[in-house]
Amino acid sequence: MASGLENYVNQTVSVITSDGRNFIGTLKGFDQTINIILDESHERVFSSSTGIAQVVLGLHIIRGDNVAIVGQIDESIDSRLDLGNIKAEPLGAIVH
Amino acid sequence: MLPLSLLRTAQNHPMLVELKNGETYNGHLVSCDNWMNINLREVICTSRDGDKFWRMPECYIRGSTIKYLRIPDEVIDMVKEETQVKARGRSEVNKGRGGGQNMRQGGRGGGRGAFGSRGGRAPPLAGRGGGNPGRNPQNKNKK
Amino acid sequence: MASKEGGDKGKGAQGAGDGKEKRRKESILDLSKYLEKSIRVKFAGGREAAGILKGYDPLLNLVLDNTTEFLRDPDDPYKLLDDTRPLGLVVCRGTSVVLICPMDGMEAIPNPFITQEG
Repeated sequence: MASGLENYVNQTVSVITSDGRNFIGTLKGFDQTINIILDESHERVFSSSTGIAQVVLGLHIIRGDNVAIVGQIDESIDSRLDLGNIKAEPLGAIVH
Repeated sequence: MLPLSLLRTAQNHPMLVELKNGETYNGHLVSCDNWMNINLREVICTSRDGDKFWRMPECYIRGSTIKYLRIPDEVIDMVKEETQVKARGRSEVNKGRGGGQNMRQGGRGGGRGAFGSRGGRAPPLAGRGGGNPGRNPQNKNKK
Repeated sequence: MASKEGGDKGKGAQGAGDGKEKRRKESILDLSKYLEKSIRVKFAGGREAAGILKGYDPLLNLVLDNTTEFLRDPDDPYKLLDDTRPLGLVVCRGTSVVLICPMDGMEAIPNPFITQEG
């Protein structure tokens, strides 16, 4: 398990998938192909007109093929974000 | 916890599967394998644009085409310890076979030991205290 | 004939394994139950077809007879049109097979999700 993800287990992480979506949740597990278990997850949907919408999703397995970025969330900073007033274009998908 | 252990535990539970092509499949998981290939029953397929729907009594989906699976929250509490015991057993076997590998710190043996009581477990402490520096060099070694 | 053989072989191999061992090594998909029945197959890239399963192998290569392909929007390879075209007897390459389901019981339905998905 040399991925370095073990340090994030049971921490809040942000996963950006290759279709440009952003999932936030607790990393409960992963494997050598970077399949990821996200618990109590939600998706942040970016919009340049209405701000960031949060969609509650729950328990997820994200297949490693689609994982582009896994980042640790600093909850003290993250909770200070005013998501409703952050306007940004959604990410595009990775072009293969 | 391994994603495939969670998936195995989710057998007979309803779930939503989104494929890389954007289609979603709602159904009960009948079976799955180590490649994440799955059998679903009582399936509703939704087109990528969410404008067309099909009912199917069952279907087989190739694991490599899956983007993600949504699983009922309670399933994570049902994952059995059994899987971890198995993993530990496997690492013991590898230790035996690997022999001298374990002597080399940061070598491949270290990675295998991650499940056991020594080896790969040490870095996380360093990582948590001091951030990344402690971890990265080792990762390089493993590659 | 050859395709029949393939099917029988698959069955035999499955019978050889026992219990969990079978689950590990053999496919979780028992295609023998679809032999001589009409199945729907979706492929990587968006192509879709339906035909009568005449044979298969463990790699999911399929032999379909009386196959029809579902034509797609030229601008969107994942959008099906209502048109089909007949292909006859075909071999489907296993590596590109994304999904298999029986045609019997498959039907288009109106939106079953009251608001959106549950």
